[in-house]
Amino acid sequence: MNTAQTSPQIISKLIHILMAVIPSYESDFWSADTELFGAIAEFDSMAIVTIIGEIEEQFDIVFDDDDISAENFASISSLAKLVFEYYG
Amino acid sequence: MNINAEFIAGKQGALFRLMRTPECVQGHILYLPPLFEQANQTRHMLTRSAINAYQQGFESIIVDHYGTSDSAGQLTEACLSLWQQDVIAQLSEIKTRSKQTTILSVSLSAALLLNNDILALIDGLILVQPEFNGKRFVQQFKRLALAAELDKQLAVEPSLDEEQINIAGYVMGKELLVHLSQQNSQQLTSRKLPCCWLEWQAADSELSTARANQYQAFQNALIANNEDCCYYAVDDVKFWQSTELEIAEQYLADEQQALLALFKRTMGAKTC
Repeated sequence: MNTAQTSPQIISKLIHILMAVIPSYESDFWSADTELFGAIAEFDSMAIVTIIGEIEEQFDIVFDDDDISAENFASISSLAKLVFEYYG
Repeated sequence: MNINAEFIAGKQGALFRLMRTPECVQGHILYLPPLFEQANQTRHMLTRSAINAYQQGFESIIVDHYGTSDSAGQLTEACLSLWQQDVIAQLSEIKTRSKQTTILSVSLSAALLLNNDILALIDGLILVQPEFNGKRFVQQFKRLALAAELDKQLAVEPSLDEEQINIAGYVMGKELLVHLSQQNSQQLTSRKLPCCWLEWQAADSELSTARANQYQAFQNALIANNEDCCYYAVDDVKFWQSTELEIAEQYLADEQQALLALFKRTMGAKTC
């Protein structure tokens, strides 16, 4: 997807959340194009649920359980697009 | 360090208790472990908190809930009411052998165990990022099963029978989740109880709406007309969320400060 479809603020906030949950990577590892599900070993079911909870709290949104899909969690861009649908 | 690791009688079976007793006990603090995966994610910090309290002159006690960790029984045999009755028994036991201040420390999902009978037995309450929204907690827990289906590493196994559910390896009665989902702070009635609330909040950020609502609901429910709830903003890593083992030093310092301030408010410092 085109990252211009989501706001830089959303990307930035998502990276902040991801860095807190998965602190084993340097800050320059994270960008809109960083792949998540299937690409990062630490990005397991527990991490996914933790990140969902943090996103919901920080953006004041509530995801549908159907949003928990490999597509939505494929990369920071796809996750930002999902957040944008609720928050944007 | 004077530490006792022992099994004590619970309502349905033996409970594992870790008790650190200083030479001069100025008060007691019972730590309620949070539930399910949060228990594993917080254990290292719970231990540090208990050691800090011990070093401040508090007898610090950690008891594993029935069917969890080193306590007897299976999670399938546990229910909310049983866990609450065990907590009441532990607090009553402290009360029968000591007239000193008893403080209850409750973190994350352990807040879902609180009821009025428990609050009636304590002199002070420490809340650490408490989760009072049972519905949300259970929703998040169930999402674990959905997320596990994605990576297939923690496959959702078929339920053992109609009354049980298996989420990411945690097999439990469905009724337990139903009862947890019904918990909220509004069930706690107003009484004067000195307490402190430690909330993770970065120095340059506002509290999220969801967390602000929980704090407000707690204030409305429990401490109406009570000025004794102190709010502490903790600017530190959310160690229970991290995929790495994190030590939250600032939190430990804030918690110690909160404990001592709370103790002074409940009873006043005692000397040996």
